Amino acid sequence: MVNLLKLKKAHLKKFLNKLKNEHKLYVPVKTDLVRFEEYKGDIYLKENSYFPIKEFFFKKEETLFDYNKNKISVPEKESEKRIFFGVRRCDLNAIKHQDMIFIEKFNDPYYKKERENSILIGYHCNTAPSEFCFCGSMDLKDCQDLMFFDKGSYFLVEISSKKGSSLIKKHKEFFKNTDKKITTKKIPNTDILHTKDISNLYNNPDWKKASSMCLSCSACTALCPTCYCHSIHDEGNVHNLNKGKRKRTWSSCQLKEFTKVAGGHVFREKREDRFKHRIYHQLEYFKERYGVNLCTGCGRCISGCPTRINWLKLVNEMKK
Amino acid sequence: MKTTKLKIGFYGITGCAGCQLSFIFNEDELLSLIDLIDLRAFPFIKEFNLEEKFDYVFIEGLVANKNDLKTLKKLREKADKLVALGACAHTGCVPAYRNFTLKENYKHLLYMKRTEIQDVKPTPVDTHVNVDYTIPGCPPDKNEIMNFIKDIVKGKEPKINNNPVCVECRRNNNVCLLDVGKPCLGPITRGGCNSVCTNGKFECWGCRGLTDDADIKLLVKLLKEKGFSEKIIKQRMRSFVGLKLPNLEKIMNE
Amino acid sequence: MNKLLPKPSKVIDFQRETFDNFTITLDAKMKHEPGQFVQVSLLGFGEAPISIASHSDKYIKLNIHEVGNVTNALAKLKKGDKVFIKGPYGKGYPMKKLKGNDIIIIGGGCGVAPLKGVIDYIGQNRSNYNNVMLFLGFRTPDDILFNKELKKWRKDYHVNVSVDKDPKKTCYDFNVGFITEMLEKTDLNNNNKVVFLCGPPIMINKVIEILKNKGFNDNQMFVSNERLMFCGIGMCCHCMIRGKLTCLDGPVFRYDEINKYEND
Repeated sequence: MVNLLKLKKAHLKKFLNKLKNEHKLYVPVKTDLVRFEEYKGDIYLKENSYFPIKEFFFKKEETLFDYNKNKISVPEKESEKRIFFGVRRCDLNAIKHQDMIFIEKFNDPYYKKERENSILIGYHCNTAPSEFCFCGSMDLKDCQDLMFFDKGSYFLVEISSKKGSSLIKKHKEFFKNTDKKITTKKIPNTDILHTKDISNLYNNPDWKKASSMCLSCSACTALCPTCYCHSIHDEGNVHNLNKGKRKRTWSSCQLKEFTKVAGGHVFREKREDRFKHRIYHQLEYFKERYGVNLCTGCGRCISGCPTRINWLKLVNEMKK
Repeated sequence: MKTTKLKIGFYGITGCAGCQLSFIFNEDELLSLIDLIDLRAFPFIKEFNLEEKFDYVFIEGLVANKNDLKTLKKLREKADKLVALGACAHTGCVPAYRNFTLKENYKHLLYMKRTEIQDVKPTPVDTHVNVDYTIPGCPPDKNEIMNFIKDIVKGKEPKINNNPVCVECRRNNNVCLLDVGKPCLGPITRGGCNSVCTNGKFECWGCRGLTDDADIKLLVKLLKEKGFSEKIIKQRMRSFVGLKLPNLEKIMNE
Repeated sequence: MNKLLPKPSKVIDFQRETFDNFTITLDAKMKHEPGQFVQVSLLGFGEAPISIASHSDKYIKLNIHEVGNVTNALAKLKKGDKVFIKGPYGKGYPMKKLKGNDIIIIGGGCGVAPLKGVIDYIGQNRSNYNNVMLFLGFRTPDDILFNKELKKWRKDYHVNVSVDKDPKKTCYDFNVGFITEMLEKTDLNNNNKVVFLCGPPIMINKVIEILKNKGFNDNQMFVSNERLMFCGIGMCCHCMIRGKLTCLDGPVFRYDEINKYEND
């Protein structure tokens, strides 16, 4: 199998238009922010999207089942054929980590359904799109279906999965063979987190410095492409209170409510404990269970934080 | 037939009636919603109002004159549970802002001769009577009122949102207004409004009051760093919740 | 298989224990360890993790304290009603590994519920364990749980019941004062002993301090933890304590596995 092909940049839009005919195609678009939206002819590749594509798979709100008195039924869900074009390496890895949780470990049918018919086409960063990117410090892998490497007037397209390969086959008229090689997948200047081993830092007093700047607004977890904590609640139907839905919604460990039990006790009352919990879940707790860091180094938890708490600097300094 | 439905009353004292309207704005659900309860009194929309005993009274508005106080105390006696509906009842809201202005500036506007509406210090209802529940917001979210009623009908303890507005704002994929130079109070303000203002790129003024977890000091510091004057910050923070921020002056000077 | 769908189960008995505590028996047939829990759903109210307070493969008993929306609603159940359950979940007390030991059971308030599952188990496997001591603490005599069972336990085991206060002065077969005082007064060494603990955090911490002073090691103490939980299977992460999931790795932890992590 040829695994590297060439696509002229001038042909990109034609290719995307072709894809659009058979799939719902999402690409990064610049509006007030860079967001993944349905492709309408515009595409913006200079920055990473402000919001990760997590919400397309792990939904902000998911109906687990409908109930009617004592009967439970899972709603039928249409699964659309979707393509996401222009996903960065960090976010591709983040989806992989979510796959590990929702598919490989728990076989979650709701997530699986959203994932099944989706194709992920990556866009390799030639330079770090933000000053807070630190994917170079994380051990990222290839987990896309196709990867586009921007070479100025053309793209080198790496075929990385069966899904990707059959998509290319369908549209082979756009692609040419090439003898070029991908020499490195490292993105320069992104190894700014000097250590991922924070196991001996738990009692370091400097965590206070960071958490004293924390508003507990939960922007970090909402913008994080990997955070997967969620809550479950029942929602009754006003027209018939016997009926209703059980729903799963995003939640955030940064909120006090996250550990509040019936009776009112909050286990992680202190902001410092909540802040540390997030970083430790990303760098340590998840790894203990799944073998990889949860974090993929996209930097959104810093660039999207209202007070720009730079925990990378903090960890680097604590480790000195 | 004897009804076991909850006896409910909706009343207003000084306010704009917007909070009562918020209940009515549940247009598609309203008939079902009213069917769940025994709506004994709602003078704003009903001609006949039975006023004996209520399981729940929802009260809109703040105490701004002697009449208000009389009404409020009477309703408290009649209600098993009193629900402060909306920002005026909850925090005093904008009408209480005059606590932070000079009386001379508006003295000429007072109705000096009408003794029954003589001025008292504008204050939220919990200053005067015990409040069992609060549904915050100016106006409160219509879904929140509906969910409150659904809960009490089912015998559930109604849950009032205690997360900052940012939670919903981020979920609604909005740009952070603090990042685009607006003095947004979202991080310290109780959510549950589906971030309706920030969805429209209008910064949060804090109408729903503070979360239990609010760090006012840090937000003041952040706003100052962003170049907002103390005057602006104070005005903003006091617009809706001034009376609930007794230490603001001290925090500003730290 | 969809792990988030609960299964229906019938209430076959309802027993009120105290004014805010009751025991329901469900016709759920499941193999489980003492200390494990089930997620109980009342559709429209939500789901709550409840530890199994019995040991049988024919039914499960759930002792429930009325503290929240779900538990308040469960209190209104009647014989024949349906609830929905998922489970059993979590790791319980490692009873098999602890064969041949003395067992000291210390429970406070509704924390006695999972321990009742242990006591039932020991009753069925009495020869596997040596001396069994119970220290059970409640707020007042009116809060004492499992009164019926207590009579039997008193015959079979060394039982200490204490109440924090006894305003009505009804005291006759229990001690007035904190359970910790009782424990302190008791002559104990750590020879071939294990301790099972469940109760409010403040009690647990104090008890552990006392036991340590008496020479007990962290790995001789087993603590059952409470946390906010939604999924019960390790996905929602609300119950995480320093990377350990209460629903998967707990709710029973050997103390050296979590030690002092109550705020993390």
